Amino acid sequence: MDLTNVYQNNYLVVVIFLLLGILLPVGALTAGRLLRPYKPRKEKYTTYESGIEPFHQSWIQFNVRYYLFALLFVIFDVETVFLYPWAVAYDKLGMFALIEMTVFIVMLAFGLLYAWRKKVLKWI
Amino acid sequence: MTGEVIAFFVLAIVAIMGGMLLLHLSNVVHMVVALVFTFLAIAGIFITLSAEFVAAVQVLIYSGAVTIIMLFGIMLTRHDDVSEKKQIKSSTLLAAGGVGAFFLLMFFAINGMSVSEPATNLHVDNTKRIGELLYTNYLIPFELISVLLLAALIGAIILAKRDDKQEEKP
Repeated sequence: MDLTNVYQNNYLVVVIFLLLGILLPVGALTAGRLLRPYKPRKEKYTTYESGIEPFHQSWIQFNVRYYLFALLFVIFDVETVFLYPWAVAYDKLGMFALIEMTVFIVMLAFGLLYAWRKKVLKWI
Repeated sequence: MTGEVIAFFVLAIVAIMGGMLLLHLSNVVHMVVALVFTFLAIAGIFITLSAEFVAAVQVLIYSGAVTIIMLFGIMLTRHDDVSEKKQIKSSTLLAAGGVGAFFLLMFFAINGMSVSEPATNLHVDNTKRIGELLYTNYLIPFELISVLLLAALIGAIILAKRDDKQEEKP
C-alpha cells in the first residue's frame, strides 16, 4: 500500500506544473490588462485594421476531403497506440510478436496504399 | 480526507461540468471544447487508478483524434445556427425522474458493494504487462482490430469518393 501512495505522490509535481502552466498566461494577461492604456476606437476592433473588411463567419462548411484526412489521422493514431506496449514488452515477446506486428502494420499499409491509389492523399 | 480523494473529486467535478456545458452551450464548437475537458478529466481519473497507459491512450485518442474527427464532422455540416432554448416539457420531467431513480439505484448499489483487498502493485511495469498480455493471450482480437481499422478506412474512402463523382457529373 505504501509503495502505491509514494508512487502516486510523484504526480504532485505534475499537478504543480499544470497549475503553473495555467497561472502563467492568466497572470501575464491580467498584468497586461492592468498596465496597458485603454483607449478603444471602432477601427481598432476590426480584424484587419488597415485591410479588407471581413465578412461572414470563419466557420464555413468544409469539403468531405478534409474529413478523410481526419479519419486517416485517427486510424494511424490507434495504430501508434498499439505499437507502444509492443515496444515496451519487446524483450519478452520475441519473434512471434514481431511477425504479428508486421501483419498488423502491413494490413494498415494496404489501407494507406488504397487511399493513395484513390487519390485521397492529394491536396487540392 | 486523503489527497487521492481530493484529486478524484476535483477531476470528477471537471468531468461532470464538461458534460453539463456540452449539453447547455449553444455553439457547437464550444460544445466540443467542453467535451475535451471531460476527456482530460477522465484521463486524470485513470492516473489516480494507476492506469497510466490507459490515461495516455485517453489523451491521445479521445482528446486528440476523436475531438478532431468531431470538429471535422461539425465542419461538414451547416453549423452557423445556434440551438434554441427549450421550454420545460413533460418529457423533461420524465427524464428528471429517470435520473433521480438512477441516482438512488447507483447510490444504494455502491453503498452495499464490498471491495476486496485493493491491489498494491498496479503501477509496476503496467505498460509492459499490457503488452505481454496483448501479444500472447489476446492476439486474435488484436489482429481483428487491424481488419476493423482497414474496413473503416476503406469504407470511408468509398463513401467520400462516390460523393466526388456525383459532383462531377452534372
